[in-house]
Amino acid sequence: MTRISCAAIAAALTALCGQMAGADTIKVGVIAPFSGPFATYGTQYRNAIEVYVAQHGNKAGEHEIEFVYKDSGGPNPDQVRSIAQELLIRDRVDYLAGFTFTPNALAVAPLIDQSETPTVIFNAATSSINKESKFFLRTSYTMWQVSEPLAQWAFDQGIKTVATTVSDYGPGIDAETAFRAAFEERGGKVVDAIRMPLSTTDFTPFLQRVRDEKPDAVFTFLPGGPPTFTYTKTYNENGLAQEGIRFLGTAETEEVNLQGLGEAAVGLTTAYHYSGAHDSETNRAFTAKLAEMFPGAVANWSSVGAYDGVDLIYHMVETSGSDGPAAIEAALGREWESPRGPLKLDPETRTVAQNVYIREVERDPASGQLVNREKGVIANVGDLGWTR
Amino acid sequence: MKSWLTPFLVLALAGAAFLLFPYNLAFLTRILIMILLVLSLDLVLGFAGIATLGQAAMYGTGAYAAGLFAVHASGNPLAGLLVGAFAGAALALVSGLLLMRTRGLTLIMLTIAVASLCLEAANQLRGLTGGADGLRGIRMQPVLGLFPFDFAGQTGYWYALSVTVLVFAGLAVLTRSAFGLSLRGIHESPARMAAIGVSVYWRQVAAYTIGGGIAGIAGALAAQITQLVSLESYSFTISAEALIMLILGGAGRLYGAVIGTVIFMVVHHVAAANDPFNWLFVIGALVLFVVFLVPNGLVSLPLAVTRLWKGARHARA
Repeated sequence: MTRISCAAIAAALTALCGQMAGADTIKVGVIAPFSGPFATYGTQYRNAIEVYVAQHGNKAGEHEIEFVYKDSGGPNPDQVRSIAQELLIRDRVDYLAGFTFTPNALAVAPLIDQSETPTVIFNAATSSINKESKFFLRTSYTMWQVSEPLAQWAFDQGIKTVATTVSDYGPGIDAETAFRAAFEERGGKVVDAIRMPLSTTDFTPFLQRVRDEKPDAVFTFLPGGPPTFTYTKTYNENGLAQEGIRFLGTAETEEVNLQGLGEAAVGLTTAYHYSGAHDSETNRAFTAKLAEMFPGAVANWSSVGAYDGVDLIYHMVETSGSDGPAAIEAALGREWESPRGPLKLDPETRTVAQNVYIREVERDPASGQLVNREKGVIANVGDLGWTR
Repeated sequence: MKSWLTPFLVLALAGAAFLLFPYNLAFLTRILIMILLVLSLDLVLGFAGIATLGQAAMYGTGAYAAGLFAVHASGNPLAGLLVGAFAGAALALVSGLLLMRTRGLTLIMLTIAVASLCLEAANQLRGLTGGADGLRGIRMQPVLGLFPFDFAGQTGYWYALSVTVLVFAGLAVLTRSAFGLSLRGIHESPARMAAIGVSVYWRQVAAYTIGGGIAGIAGALAAQITQLVSLESYSFTISAEALIMLILGGAGRLYGAVIGTVIFMVVHHVAAANDPFNWLFVIGALVLFVVFLVPNGLVSLPLAVTRLWKGARHARA
């Protein structure tokens, strides 16, 4: 039975290879959430990819590039692994990309190791993913990469005591650990570490407790969407800002949900690697093209993760075609200009080293929209979580 | 005379699927794992009439037990399966002692609660389970020391198929035994069964425990083949989807579990592959269609057609 099936597979593969040779199309499999509560990620990736293709054409060097989209739904490693297997064996993709959730990325590690497929992570932010396979490249960020500069900056600003309030789930706990370690190493003090259940709808008790403790600032990490709306509203209503307790966050004021936060968001301080209002030629070209192609779409960190990821894939295809190990070699150490600023793919951690910006939410006088205005920059931050 | 025909046909189809879809083996293996889970639910809900929406509790526990066993003790797949089965059965037994004292909505709520408790426990025990990142580092030895897990998933497929066939056969025997018949009786009328001297409570605990063991095996298989266990194995979605598959195929029939799972997963797969953005509509339409037009599940479709045909023949004669 096995022998017959092997023969069948071999025959089918030969037939496929025959087709492939003439066209020289290199396929990129994009695994991301396109349905369910996390579908925004998929939409952001896809828009960014299409913008990139519209700007640069569908050819990298002599090779034509084709994207194959697959839906992962939410965190679902079983499904993602079988999708990846299918992409690699049946669709014969040469590159994989996407990956919003850490377990989904981890699930493909043994596969891409065996098939030597360069895999570009657009989002998943746990440092240790890249240790599982040397074919992982990451164009997003890691939790440490933004939390530690924030701790550094806060300490330099004279903030000596902080209360942390994070949602009680994986990324929240990672953010708490990273911020706390970095802040205390520098001599700051975390007076209280509060973990709030993911389903919290009323943050008053937590923020009241913070208010009573009178720290210099409150660090927070929340999943995007409704919790952030409620949290920032409660932060203002309970007068923490008036008490002089500063708000320190990361992705809370990301662009897709920013307008929804309303006046309550003005003055919130965050440290992050991308602001839609970043002042550069590349960013203006990117956001203008995005607005032109998809009216109503807003660029945020997941768009730019995908945009830069595709840029990296184009670079690898141009230099190495479908040769996986050579492509990785070509990608490592590459420096380029992204809409977020200068990027360098760090050869050791295989995550991009990038500027982390300290931003404050402002109402832009010209457009009347809320924007993350960059007030400070910590240049060339690598993945600080790699050696932790 | 024809009792051997159906299993033979199903096995032949499984073999044919292997030859016809050599690129989809990973997906076919997922179907097999899901069939196991739905079979366990069929025993618990379809046969014993225990209303549950928390079968994922035993599935996830089996997955984590097998995963931890592989990481810390041994990569032997069969030993891992036993560990998974034992863990699933143990959880079902312990929770079942309490759950089987309740009925109806209370029971449903409590089964959901058990799964949520497991989920939160796994989330909190990050050092052990890896929390939201998932349990990694599962490396499996070859099955029986002979067949290493390969890239295309051939070993995984045959391994999962063998386990599924064995479990199915075991359940076929079990449901035809006196014990199985008493479960059916309990499903129809617990009061009457009690009146003829059957200990309804203990029979239900036993059925729930066996079902838990099978769900544990399904979880263990998933852990061994994906080489990663995530918190999602405890998710409500898994329990709910298993229930939809069972109702789709027809509860209380072993083949119902198989047919429902295959149809649901294939439709899901094809729809999601063709339109990764809007495929949920197709699934919704399918479920509505079956619930309204074939309320007993797809397994009753040929029966209904045969009856209709026979009826027509009798009418003519």
